[in-house]
Amino acid sequence: MNTEELPMIIFTVLAQMSVGAFVVLGVVQVVAARRFGAAAVDKVTDPALYAIGPALVAGLAASMLHMNDVTNTLNVVRHLGTSWLSAEIVCGIAFAGLGFVFAAAQWFKWATPTWRRVLAAVTALVGIALVASMSMIYYTLVTVPAWHTWATPVQFFTTTFLLGTLAVGAALTGTVMWRTHHRTTADAHDAASAGATVPTTDLLASCLRGLGIAAVVLLGVEFLIIPLSITTLTATGGVAAESATVFTGAWFIARLTLVFAGAGLLAAFVLRYATTRTNPRTLAILTATAFVLVLASELIGRSLFYDSMTRIGM
Amino acid sequence: MKLGFSFDQSLCTGCKACSVACKDKNDLPVGISWRRVVEYSGGSWQQAGDTFTPNVFSYYTSISCNHCEDPICVRVCPTTAMTQGPDGVVSVDADKCVGCRYCEWACPYSAPQFDPASGHMTKCDLCADYRADGQDPACVAACPSRALGWGPIDELRADLGDLAGVEPLPDPAITRPRLVITPHRDAQPTGTGTGAIANPEEL
Repeated sequence: MNTEELPMIIFTVLAQMSVGAFVVLGVVQVVAARRFGAAAVDKVTDPALYAIGPALVAGLAASMLHMNDVTNTLNVVRHLGTSWLSAEIVCGIAFAGLGFVFAAAQWFKWATPTWRRVLAAVTALVGIALVASMSMIYYTLVTVPAWHTWATPVQFFTTTFLLGTLAVGAALTGTVMWRTHHRTTADAHDAASAGATVPTTDLLASCLRGLGIAAVVLLGVEFLIIPLSITTLTATGGVAAESATVFTGAWFIARLTLVFAGAGLLAAFVLRYATTRTNPRTLAILTATAFVLVLASELIGRSLFYDSMTRIGM
Repeated sequence: MKLGFSFDQSLCTGCKACSVACKDKNDLPVGISWRRVVEYSGGSWQQAGDTFTPNVFSYYTSISCNHCEDPICVRVCPTTAMTQGPDGVVSVDADKCVGCRYCEWACPYSAPQFDPASGHMTKCDLCADYRADGQDPACVAACPSRALGWGPIDELRADLGDLAGVEPLPDPAITRPRLVITPHRDAQPTGTGTGAIANPEEL
């Protein structure tokens, strides 16, 4: 278990989760708005949107600990033309900035919904560029065979969307549960007068069904990538095969078990309960637990990724 | 005119005077060695009838920054602290370095080394101050067997050839080091080695 690179483990996982959650929320908004209306969707999804900011800021703060001389921090954007690390930092700042502007626009209802969607699309694209540049930092190191493989970008994007999907699921159920228990008199009056409770329940169930399916599919992708990448490393021999030995032992088994339990079993239950519209409390517990298990699994997985850094040469 | 090193494995006795001279001249702390001497050894014995003949071998390679033609450390550095001068010498500017250690991940020769005390990367600059005074780099001057040399890489290659891919060094195609090696009689080409580094603790 690698702890030396803890700042980078936390940063990469949280930043990828933030990008994934933003993109998944965008998909939820676009798809669900057609059926339930933009206002109803905004009401359920906005708190999840506002939760992305603190997660990203926590990741960026952790990344600062990776630098051993923070007085020179501003220099890290100087080599944008060549260094993927510079590109990652520029994309990270741009994603955080655009995301903040979009969240403010949603909160204060600035501009028209169309313009806000354009801003969200641009933010999502910058987020994708952030994950891409993050993966290129490692992929382009030809001296580290365990990183210089197709598996690096594929795994980074799988983590992005798997964690993003489950984070959004947990945030949506959390929001609905919170509102159910802390509904103000005005909200209750509005809901009763507009009959909004039923659409909200339908909306949540519909979203969770989609998120459950996405999580199970992404788990399948992850369970395909992991053995394939290990086999590739082992077959390459030399330093690559040496790196592959990291992916054995108790931590690797724990990583697989947690992601299977979270994204597989629990997401399947979320899908089932969302379809049968059982007790929302059960759904909330399931989605939150699935998210926590997969987050733990991805943190362990990223730690193993850094452990696999065995370099060609001396 | 780009500068580089030459190294004759057949002359090196593994005394590490070059490594010590470098540490002394640059006042390097424990844990940082810009020039290191790697011992590569292997072999066992061969049987011919009832006769067993040993075929063990061992040879040394003195290695520092090779001021590469395609320096991966310069390419990946986000701060532009790692730069290559007109003479091909790669150096690090502590006033720009953020200590992210990305160059350390990248370099296959372990040339950029991290100094925890300053929070910056450090590396060989081919004794820029000595060269400015008309002197040889400290490692070259200290070598008792004259195995180490330095100078314009074109001249070194014209005189000594262009071999730089000897075990346990990496494939020279990765960074194209400005290094010319005169091989030991038992030297094995990069990627085909049957031996192992015998002194990993010293590197």
